[in-house]
Amino acid sequence: MGVMTCFCHLAISQNYYVYVTAESEDEVSLIKFDGKNATIEKTIVVGVWPAEIEGPHGINVSPDGKYWYLSLAHGNPYGTLYKYSTETNEVVDTVMLGLFPASLQVSTATGLLYCVNFNLHGDMVPSTVSVVDPELMMEVKRIETGVMPHGSRISSDGMYHYSVGMMSGELFEISTTKMKVSRVLNLDGKKEMPMADTGGGMDHSQMDHSKMDHSKMDMGGMSHSAVKPTWVIPHPTNNKVYVAGNGSDEILEVDLEKWEITNRLKTGKAPYNVDISPDGRYLVATYKGSAETGVWDLKKGKELARVKNTRKVTHGVSISSDSKYAFVSVEGIGGEPGTMDVIDIKKATKVASVDMGKQAGGIIFWKMD
Amino acid sequence: MKNLKLFLITVLFSAGSLYAQELSLKVSTEPISMKIGQTLQLQAVVVDANGNKVPDREYLFFSRNRRALSVVDSTGMATAIKHGEYGIVVISPNEDEGRLRADFKVIIEPAPITRVEISGVPDKVYAGVTLPLSIKIFDEAGFERDDISATLTSSDKETVGVAPFYKVIARSKGKSTISATAEGVTGTMDINVVENPIAQINLQSDMLEGRSGDVFTLSAVALDKNGNEVKDAPISYSFTGESYDVSAAPSGLMTKDGKFVADQPGLYVLNATCGSAAASVTISANNRNITRKIELIGQGSVNNKHTSDLWIWEGVDGKDYAVTGTWGADGTAYFWDVTNPASISLIDSVQVDARTVNDVKVSEDGKVCVISREGASNRKNGLVIIDVSNPRDVSVISEFSENLTGGVHNVFIYQNHVYALSAGRKYYSINIEDPKKPKIVGEFELDTPGHSIHDVWVHDGIAYSSNWSDGVQLVDVGNGIAGGSPSNPVQFASYAYPSGSNHAAFPYKDEKTGKFYVILGDEEFPYGLDPNGRKPGRAAGYLHVIDFTDLNNPKEVAWFQVPFAGSHNYWIEDDILYAAFYNGGVRVVDLSGELLGDLNRQGREIAWIVPEDPDGYVANAPFTWGAQPHKGHIFYSDWNSGLWSAKLEPVIPQNTKIETK
Repeated sequence: MGVMTCFCHLAISQNYYVYVTAESEDEVSLIKFDGKNATIEKTIVVGVWPAEIEGPHGINVSPDGKYWYLSLAHGNPYGTLYKYSTETNEVVDTVMLGLFPASLQVSTATGLLYCVNFNLHGDMVPSTVSVVDPELMMEVKRIETGVMPHGSRISSDGMYHYSVGMMSGELFEISTTKMKVSRVLNLDGKKEMPMADTGGGMDHSQMDHSKMDHSKMDMGGMSHSAVKPTWVIPHPTNNKVYVAGNGSDEILEVDLEKWEITNRLKTGKAPYNVDISPDGRYLVATYKGSAETGVWDLKKGKELARVKNTRKVTHGVSISSDSKYAFVSVEGIGGEPGTMDVIDIKKATKVASVDMGKQAGGIIFWKMD
Repeated sequence: MKNLKLFLITVLFSAGSLYAQELSLKVSTEPISMKIGQTLQLQAVVVDANGNKVPDREYLFFSRNRRALSVVDSTGMATAIKHGEYGIVVISPNEDEGRLRADFKVIIEPAPITRVEISGVPDKVYAGVTLPLSIKIFDEAGFERDDISATLTSSDKETVGVAPFYKVIARSKGKSTISATAEGVTGTMDINVVENPIAQINLQSDMLEGRSGDVFTLSAVALDKNGNEVKDAPISYSFTGESYDVSAAPSGLMTKDGKFVADQPGLYVLNATCGSAAASVTISANNRNITRKIELIGQGSVNNKHTSDLWIWEGVDGKDYAVTGTWGADGTAYFWDVTNPASISLIDSVQVDARTVNDVKVSEDGKVCVISREGASNRKNGLVIIDVSNPRDVSVISEFSENLTGGVHNVFIYQNHVYALSAGRKYYSINIEDPKKPKIVGEFELDTPGHSIHDVWVHDGIAYSSNWSDGVQLVDVGNGIAGGSPSNPVQFASYAYPSGSNHAAFPYKDEKTGKFYVILGDEEFPYGLDPNGRKPGRAAGYLHVIDFTDLNNPKEVAWFQVPFAGSHNYWIEDDILYAAFYNGGVRVVDLSGELLGDLNRQGREIAWIVPEDPDGYVANAPFTWGAQPHKGHIFYSDWNSGLWSAKLEPVIPQNTKIETK
């Protein structure tokens, strides 16, 4: 009995660490969850302008866990990618990227970091994915994709980067090793130009954009996507990616072999971010419009539960490496604090919650100890 | 261009990162040499422990300076563009972290020098004059080579001597050829030295006695031995002086065209020389004595959130009111009765879906207020129009976010139009004749690479936008100077300065001198933030005075700087500048007369007051946002403590010394 007790104690003494951005506070919170309570371990002030909101948005941790990367969306006019040490939470280096850099991830195959330039507030023109060497913190290339490229993630083998054009309704697959768009899928059902015709995507790094005035372009023929995809996540093993259809209230399952939509999972209102448990069993989606988080069993294709979040405007989600917990950022409104909710995936219930800086957004699970 | 293959023998290869299966990525250990214009196939190879090439590996190449050395990432084909030493990174990707990476160097040889150009020499040079030369060195690739210096020689040193820093001295009548040689290439310039006809200089100053900060304008007339004026005489101006304060060194500024301003009160000798001819005039710069006491009158405390901008206006009922925004909080704007500046009272507020109400403005008739929104929960920011006819019971008339979803940082109201910034890129002119139905009628955006904008201020039909590195843009939105209107904004003048920090602009016409200035303000935070978030930020930057009297040739003539503080928003009224300097509070500055040089060192600061509040949002951490004079008082908003009022004591008689604070 004594041995059993000891074992149980060890089993529940696991700590989980998560980084969460506060977009309207210019802070990043390092949050510890000990299985019962979530607490802020450290708040890191980010940016350089005390009287301007610089908007920390996308965040991720390097594959070796030594660094975390953060996109600051606002600049004059370009945003900046920051590299921080996870050991000290101090800035290591920075590099300027495009307009409103957002989600980002390092490929294990190339060691390069891929960050979408969301261009949230710009003209409705195709934007880019910046490829960055995180060792030198140097932008290596910009690859043109769709209008307002937002959520993005890289396949578990590191070979392909997936992103979605929120307003053009497209799913882009970039070969990380070739640094080119390899495939495009229109999620609204429109026919795409084969990328072979365009040489696999434009290389904007070699172009002179200085004389280009996109504001004068005729965008009359452009229609905004009905699906309005805001996130894409590759499954770790089943050769599929899952897209949050923020405008159509669904998760789209895209078969990578067929390169077509093979299933549509009806969700709560305005699914925004999605993550899949490392064991491949669960998909967790944030429903921005209904302040809920949906927990899905992917084998059954069934939503197990909708968990009410602590505040309104549910934003991001990141799942622990043991597939037990989903950490969900919730923005709040106006002067409300942001919040991180912890959801026990199997039980499909919220088990902890902690307030942090305003507009909790980007979120990434770091480690267990 | 020649396409060369690079053949590298195994012994020259070095191993890059070593990963699983003892594979290594080998590249050249020695720097690879290239010539400008040359293309070269860079080589890298993955080998196993036995040195055998591993087949089917992919390679990604990139240059650490692609503007100087371009490399096609997928093929490793390099093109040399500019001389120098550059790094190349090659990665051989692999699944599951099995990638390999290596670095090597490419040295692009500089092209040979082909041309040395000398300029800056007039057709004839008077003996006794020292001339600066402009020398440019170019190579075969067309690059100007600042890294190389030229050696000057003169064919006749008795006529023209050479001096350090590319200067030549015209010594006596005659001709000499100046040669500038760099790496064996020589450029020449013939200099024709004529006898210096100048026998006398008549020098006058427009005044002999003035104050520090006053501009003494010299007029020098060079005459030959017959008393005839030599109109093209190259006259040099200089000064010496002694301070009236034994503890201070004399200092001032003399311009090339003979304008002098003293920083320090003292007796100054102003000199004009041309060759051996010289003249001087002695002037006295007395103490400016414009310092006045300033008294803190009142405060409307906001200590539960940050305060942003302010606007003071006379309401339709004849009383005086203020509106202040809030920053990084809950989207509230506060309305105050400031009729009695000693008793500022909060009378109403509006809360909108935002985190920051950065800017607040009120229409000329005192009826309509517009506030900007940032951080709306639905990311549709834009602006909010408020009826302030009764400031004690304000009400939202409309919200407007068309093309403004990215956040409106600053706004201005002028003649039934709101000028609103959009996402820091451009501004729109929005007709609010019917404030319930705002309507975009025009927009202004630069087309420069990476352009951005921070502020727009409209006065007399001219919009002054502050565009960071693109400086101030003067745009006709109804003045008529360039045929512009709100729906057809027409840019007609601009000025940018090297730091790229232009954050605010305010026009100022000095009626006495006829000078038209635009004062440009920096916003800089070079010291970053306290990583623990416990200490207030510290700003830098200052105010630049640009003389726009000649719109086609604006000149930066003066500046106002406060040590250990940085400029933010400001206002000018009756030749007085009221400037918020963040950590340095409010600075009140005398702008009367012509402006030249360092205004602060000249003693032009009339007064200062710093809002320190032990009960502030951050205690005793002044961070003053803006200042506005109104009916004899100065109102100012502070980030950590809300709205304040102060009053300058009356002007004291000149030459009456007051005690320092």
